[in-house]
Amino acid sequence: MTLLHRRLTKSDLNDLVRGAPADPVQLTDVHRASLSTRFRAVSVPGHRRLDAWSVERAGRSGNAFRWSPGTARRVLGNASLRRMATQPASVRDAVRDELGDQMLRAASGYSRSGSLSHWLASAPHPVIGLVTAEAVNWATQLQEIAEWLEAPWAVPASDAYYDVASARTTLRARRDLVVHNDETRTVVRVRSGSPGKSAGPGLRADLTIEALADHDGLAPVRYIGLWPEAGVCLSVDGTMSDLRSGARDLVRTAVAQRRRGTLLAA
Amino acid sequence: MTTMLDSSPISVVEALRGDRSQRPLIDIASAGGLRSLLEDGIFEIIGAERLETPLAVRTSSLQQHFATTDLAMSTPGRIRGVLIGQLLRLLSVGMSIDHAFDDAVAAWRGEVGTNELIKQLDILDDDDRARLATDLEAHFVTLTRALGEIPARWMPRSCVRATQRLAGGNVVLRDVVDLMIGTSTSEVASIALFDVTTSPLGEGAERSMRYHALMQTLRTSVMPLRTCTFSSATGEIWIRDVDYGLLARSVDDVLTSVRDQWSVR
Repeated sequence: MTLLHRRLTKSDLNDLVRGAPADPVQLTDVHRASLSTRFRAVSVPGHRRLDAWSVERAGRSGNAFRWSPGTARRVLGNASLRRMATQPASVRDAVRDELGDQMLRAASGYSRSGSLSHWLASAPHPVIGLVTAEAVNWATQLQEIAEWLEAPWAVPASDAYYDVASARTTLRARRDLVVHNDETRTVVRVRSGSPGKSAGPGLRADLTIEALADHDGLAPVRYIGLWPEAGVCLSVDGTMSDLRSGARDLVRTAVAQRRRGTLLAA
Repeated sequence: MTTMLDSSPISVVEALRGDRSQRPLIDIASAGGLRSLLEDGIFEIIGAERLETPLAVRTSSLQQHFATTDLAMSTPGRIRGVLIGQLLRLLSVGMSIDHAFDDAVAAWRGEVGTNELIKQLDILDDDDRARLATDLEAHFVTLTRALGEIPARWMPRSCVRATQRLAGGNVVLRDVVDLMIGTSTSEVASIALFDVTTSPLGEGAERSMRYHALMQTLRTSVMPLRTCTFSSATGEIWIRDVDYGLLARSVDDVLTSVRDQWSVR
């Protein structure tokens, strides 16, 4: 395995980007078919969604999701930074514009119930203020990290999603910045708090999902996880052994989830 | 330059930013040494033993050692502290606040849903609630007068958290800075830390200021420019320039707290 642990500083981050393997690994249809077979063997009644967080929690379900300033900040913060790349503005103005667009979507009937737009449209004025504050925090932090990078970067339009064929399973990988270097890419993911013991498997799961979600199956040469609150970063390389390990962890999580579901039903 | 003002300047933020031409170059070398001091000091206290539950250090751990009746730690005092924090967050993004108490409570509920302190707020009778609302309004007026407008170009962010695990996870340092301005990507030191308290300033506030600066240095490996504490009770503000000496004193504060906690285990 290729797990590296560094302090989150400008030089360490750039060293991690520069020191990534030169050649990307490619997943083929055989790999995809194999993964699909394994997930089909772990069938569940409904649709399941797996991500790095579920891998880190070994399939245990957390509290039910609800929109709050804390859960809205990443979506709005990333969108604001992406907006700033095309329309120079302060972080605060970019966040406000993004919030305005979200609310406009709700007002014009383009948002479904339960979506961020829908929640924002019904949130009281002070909560909108707090959402702005959280999104400004996130976007400012991400902007500082991005400004440290010496290679060209972009904020992806969304996380990476992959539907496993015939297995009613959707995999999601978090990604906040994509750093391009010639034909290869390094992905940066930002998380709050500090990394736990299972942070490495979580990163590998993201790496694998990101490779699966790529049209050509090309894996990023390195996946870097940042924990700015703790001032540390971890990275895994896009090697075949790391990709396999990530896939195994995802299947294990599906197994653990089903086992828990069975126990609860019993 | 270290400033101690008995009365608030026209704008706290202006005072924090200071004269741009006088700022030192960023210090990215001290963090490693401070971390070593902490690691060595903790090893002297705890040794190589592996603790099942880590010792946690927060700003509240650094307050006075002798027993006192701190009104700020009473339930209404704690609620007031949380609410003034919410108002600061709204001010930091330029939100207009019409009714300080109602807006702060709405923001708080939107953030945490429900918790013990909110339940305590809900069971206050009308008189206590009105008293708290009036009290908060007074603190809010003091804060807004001192703070002034915070320009977006100074990149204000509020409620900035930091966590540091030391000694293999035996000690966890936690911190929340109420307001941070400036950037760590500049060639000169520019980060200023602002803390607001609803109590009068005392020795504990001094320790908290140092601790915020230490945690920011450990987290980003970049030494901040200034650290400051503002009392919304008195309008007093203490501003300190951050240097190695100040951070080393905070290391001593942290080690004292670790020693105290270890001695009662």
